[in-house]
Amino acid sequence: MQEIRLNVVGLTRYRGQEGQLSFILHRLTGLGTLLFLAIHILDTSTVYFFPSLYQHAVEIYRSTPMMLGEIVLVFCVIYHGVNGARIALFDLFFPESWTIQTQRRSAYWTLGIALVLWVPAAFWMGRSLLVYNFGL
Amino acid sequence: MAARTEQVPLGKVEIEESFESLAWKWMRYSALLLIPLAWGHVAIQDVLVGVHRIDLDYVAMRWASLGWRVYDFALLAFAFAHGVNGLRQVLNDYIGSARTRRYLGWVLLLLWLVLSLIGAAAIVGGVRIS
Repeated sequence: MQEIRLNVVGLTRYRGQEGQLSFILHRLTGLGTLLFLAIHILDTSTVYFFPSLYQHAVEIYRSTPMMLGEIVLVFCVIYHGVNGARIALFDLFFPESWTIQTQRRSAYWTLGIALVLWVPAAFWMGRSLLVYNFGL
Repeated sequence: MAARTEQVPLGKVEIEESFESLAWKWMRYSALLLIPLAWGHVAIQDVLVGVHRIDLDYVAMRWASLGWRVYDFALLAFAFAHGVNGLRQVLNDYIGSARTRRYLGWVLLLLWLVLSLIGAAAIVGGVRIS
């Protein structure tokens, strides 16, 4: 008989594993990017509506917490893009490849490709943070 | 009762065209376009240029070229519509009542319209140096 695992409150645990994790990561990175995008549309539109406010907005983005957030944002945009490409390519062109094994393998490839693309970007942005905010 | 399963060959399911099926296609086709658009924007503005070199003059210089205005306009149109529809899909997963879902759909449509118009006005109007 197949083993059924229970969590601490006695409910069966959903065992989606890699597919479930990439689903959650896709949603979080998407929602995070959307939140930033909504704010970014408003701050950029000040160049036309209230030009004197634009410099204030940029000053906020130059602060250390915001620059760290920017590094996270770039990861969100990269991961959401790589995983979105995976979903779009499988759904539109290779739907017969949506098997658990393929999905599991491609979920790891997705994370790997996203990290490879993100690390040099994060390094460069981290360098700017140290140069401009800490006088390195 | 025994569970009845029907074997459908993968990739050969016919689905009637509806708003949801169009939204499904929109997410995937806009995704393929957004990868070069959004990644290009992030690579240039966040990584290569950086926020410390961005100010009103920089925006004015960039938008002096029609090509970049078209680029930014396309990015605004595709990214924000993709994002708001994504938010709608996430909310639909958590909202049980059909009435609330419909109501929220209109709220999100309004949000999308207002922010898109504000952004579009700024791209068309450009930088006002006072």
